[in-house]
Amino acid sequence: MTDPFELLGLARRFSLDRAALEQRHRDLSRTLHPDRYVQAPPGERRMALERAVAVNEAFRALRDPLTRAEALLTLHGLSVGDADRPAPALLMEVMDLREALDEARRSPHKVAALLDQVRARSRAEESALASAFDADDAPDAAALGRARDALVRLKYFRRFEDEADAALDY
Amino acid sequence: MAYSEKVIEHAENPRNVGTLDKEDPNVGTGLVGAPACGDVMRLQIKVSDAGVIEDAKFKTFGCGSAIASSSLATEWLKGRTLDEASAIRNTDIVKELNLPPVKIHCSVLAEDAIKSAIEDFRKKQSAKRGA
Repeated sequence: MTDPFELLGLARRFSLDRAALEQRHRDLSRTLHPDRYVQAPPGERRMALERAVAVNEAFRALRDPLTRAEALLTLHGLSVGDADRPAPALLMEVMDLREALDEARRSPHKVAALLDQVRARSRAEESALASAFDADDAPDAAALGRARDALVRLKYFRRFEDEADAALDY
Repeated sequence: MAYSEKVIEHAENPRNVGTLDKEDPNVGTGLVGAPACGDVMRLQIKVSDAGVIEDAKFKTFGCGSAIASSSLATEWLKGRTLDEASAIRNTDIVKELNLPPVKIHCSVLAEDAIKSAIEDFRKKQSAKRGA
């Protein structure tokens, strides 16, 4: 995979300055804009277009903490796959939450309360990701393991948030 | 995603959805999940003193294929001995439901849930004998 951090000229870290990310994306998009390549040879024009697409993809990957963590893990040669089995405590918590959400479906304020609770859990996992990835210049195997566990939890909490959001819209 | 008719049938009319008392010494509970998709699956069996599965329940929060896989698993489990239940393979579920390659992990999850429910039951039984 192309390194989205490198493409956007950002340090390979989990914590990033959202404004700086957006600024880089805007600047690069302007530089690579097709209008600037109208007179350029076709090869150069095509390369600029491909690069613009890659820059957009990198921006989208880094904008969301979850996909940013996935990108960092991939760069370290790790991933969360179908064969991975989450910790029993997490599964119990998620099962309880999903059952509570099922029961709360008809009462928006109960759903909203559950959503607040889980959003706070997601924030905590994002902090855990930041300390696992960014504590040292290069995270060691133990830190990457902690990052991976935090990412699994974040995936489950995000999934819950999506379901709860859908229940509120309903 | 094109679901097979059997998947749609099980997903729309899941069999044996529910809960068994997990404190009951004759009940084994399996709780598994696939982090890549955020699915969580609970499968429970109630085993008679003769070692036959007399009831099976499940609850799955996940995609249609995950629901169908666990629904089918509970249907197959009822009336089987534990050894017969252990012999259920995910490939049997894939075949029965015509699961496409991208959904094979749902059947793997169901097989894991069966195994972990049996393991939980056996652990309880040996604890009871040990006590």
